[in-house]
This record gives sequence, structure tokens and C-alpha cells, in this order.
Amino acid sequence: MFEQYLKLTYYDIFFFLKAIWVTLWITLVSIAIGTIIGLVMGFIRNSKNKIISAIPLIYIEPLRNSPLITQLFLIYYGLPVVANIVLTAEASAIIALSLNTGAFFSVLVHNSLKAIPKMQWEAGFALGHDGVSNFRHIIAPQFIRLIIPSAITLYINQLQVSSFVSLISLIDLTKAGHILTLRTMNPFLIYGIVFVLYFVISYPLSKMAKSLEKKIAFTY
Amino acid sequence: MQLNFRFLLKYYPMLLKGAYKTIYISFGALILGFVLGVIVALMRQSNNKVLKTIGAIWVEFLRNTPFLVQLFFLYFGLPELGIKTDPIVTSILALGINASAPNCEVIRSGLMAIKKGLYESSYALGHSSFQIFRYVILPVSLRIAFKPLTSNFINLILTSSVVFSITVNDLMGTSKTVAAQTARPFEVFIFILFAYAIFTFILSFVAKIVDKKISITL
Repeated sequence: MFEQYLKLTYYDIFFFLKAIWVTLWITLVSIAIGTIIGLVMGFIRNSKNKIISAIPLIYIEPLRNSPLITQLFLIYYGLPVVANIVLTAEASAIIALSLNTGAFFSVLVHNSLKAIPKMQWEAGFALGHDGVSNFRHIIAPQFIRLIIPSAITLYINQLQVSSFVSLISLIDLTKAGHILTLRTMNPFLIYGIVFVLYFVISYPLSKMAKSLEKKIAFTY
Repeated sequence: MQLNFRFLLKYYPMLLKGAYKTIYISFGALILGFVLGVIVALMRQSNNKVLKTIGAIWVEFLRNTPFLVQLFFLYFGLPELGIKTDPIVTSILALGINASAPNCEVIRSGLMAIKKGLYESSYALGHSSFQIFRYVILPVSLRIAFKPLTSNFINLILTSSVVFSITVNDLMGTSKTVAAQTARPFEVFIFILFAYAIFTFILSFVAKIVDKKISITL
């Protein structure tokens, strides 16, 4: 009687497509917001004033050193009780992932800026650039070259980590696989498909990161 | 609403038990991930093309699929093959396998950093190739790889927090129970967040000191 539900059907393709869309949407939005947060925090972190440069650490260190799932639960289950802020699963997933990405990205920014020798700044000033044009024409191109490969690696990692949002009842690719497994009782097939889908999204990106790393590498 | 952390005192034996389980799982996975990492790194460094390809596929697959799906695959998939799965054993297995990929990359870069002269001089001293590996290559490359290995380990501890999704009562799973019992999720989760943060912070601090002692420049 129920046998028909045990099989994968044509409609499940749409279920998977929708789930892929959720995963990609959440990942892309949180990466975008996280990159902005990371840039701001990274530049503050790089300031010459020691007190100002230490301020972002209050934000960075707890987020980098604690599990993402705790941060997700804190926002999804914790905020409504304490501050009466009720967020949808999607909104809390995006907020948590953005903050998390921001913390990791600011470290990348900080390290890349630190890797640029001071002489580059001094040479720029000696050539008559002011602060802004110095940054725009001399520092930024080097900075972008230094940060891009590690940034892509971070983005791929965030794509993998975005699967944790399935634990706060959001139907992303992982949750979709879980639901279909419970229905069809065929974990090998379903998780095989999920593996392939994730792999297809992330493998080209990681190959790109590797080839870019070789292409734009330079030494001082 | 007022924040109140005092109720946590009542629950601390429970949370401590969870923390113990987290540490137990992490260290089990650390050992498994390290051993697998060394094996896969050697496979990728070998001259045999088949071994090389298997190693590359292993690493690329694990790095490009999420840990949660790997965990579910093992936990729900292995019973299909007739193997009974225990949540703790499965989580150690999944975490170890998952950690073997970044460990392999790190150990491999340590192996590649070793210059040819070191091989040749140990050959000249009359070591067999196993002896060279055991007494010269492995110690040196592990010293080089020590720092990134510790950061992988910290990452592993943080990742281990999702094993509660296969019913393991680790620190995160216990804290979820406590949050549900007390109806104070914010305090519980922020406490757990800082507990993890402080624990990993101490670990990375210790690792830094050890690294300074054993680091070498070739």
C-alpha cells in the first residue's frame, strides 16, 4: 500500500533543487555580509593604535573558537527568550553564518595586510601619493592578490559548514537528504546523491582556488 | 528578562559529563585522524600511481563534502551493510576520517619541505629506507607540521559539537537538554560558547609554547 512512497520519484528532483537553492542562498548571502564585516574588522584590527586594534578581538576570538552550532542555537533559541527577538530559521542562519564568516575573514584580512611590507607604503608616499590613493593604487592590488586564494578556501569551508543549518529545521541540502532517507529507507542512494551535489558545487571552486593561487602568487 | 547564570551550578555535573564525552570523542578522533592522515599523506607522496590517485580522491572527497552528511552517511548507511552502529563509535570514526584530509595536507607539506640532502646523507650513513623514514623523515616533518596539526585538532573539537545530532550526549547535546529543561537557552548556550572558546584558547596557547620548543628551521 505504501510501497509507492518508498521509491524516489520525478518530483523529488524539485525537492533537491529547492534544497540546493536554500543552501546556495544562505551561503552566498552570509559570505557577502561576512566579507564586509571581515573587511571592516580586519582594517580596525590593523590600526596602529594598540587599544583600537585589540577591540575586534572581543568579537573575533569567541566566534572563531566556539562551534558554529552553538552560535546558531544561541541566536535561534536564545534570542527570543532573552530579548524577545523572534527570528525565522533562515534569518538566524544567515546572521550566525555571516558573523562566523566575518570573524574568520577578518583574520585573513589582518594577515594579508601584515604580509605587505612597510616599504610599499613608504615608497608610495615618497612617490607623492596621499593615504587614499596610496592604498587604492599600491596596497590594494597586492592585498587582493594575497587574500583571494585563502578567501576562496574559506568560502568553500563555509559552504560545507552551512549544512549545520539543517539542525535548526531549515530544509537545506543536508536536511532534504535526511528527509528523503527517512522516507525511502535507502541511505546509500540518497546520501550518495547529496555527496555528489555538494561535491559538484564545491570541487570546481577548490580547483579554481588552487590554480589562482599558482597564477597570482608573487614574492617580494 | 534578567540574565541569571546561577541555575547552571545545579546542572554542572551533567555538563561536566558531557564535556568528558566531548574530550573522549575528540581525542579518539585525533588519534584516528592522525594515523589515517599519515597513511594518506604517504600514499599521495608515493611513486605508485594507483595509490596516489586513491589518496587524492580520498582527500578531495572529504574536503568537498560536509561533515554532517558524512556523519549521517556512516550512522544510517552502515546498518544497511549489516554493521551495527554505536553513536559514539560512529562519531569517532566520522570525525577521524574527516580530520584525516586536512591532516594529510599538512603532513604532506611537512614531507615536501624536507630537502633531498637529508635523504642522501642518511643513506650515506647506512640507514635502510624504513629507518630513514622512521628516524629522520617522520620526526622532522611532524615537527614542521606540528602547528597546523594543532589548529586542525582545535577545528576537530569544534566540529565534534554536531555529533549530538546522532544522539551522542556530548557537551553540546547535554547543553541542549539543559536548555530545554530550564527554558533558559540563552544563558546555557552562551555559557557553552565561552566554555568551548576558553578550552580551545588554552589548547592553542599550550600548542604555541610546545611549538616554540620543538620547531626547527631546515
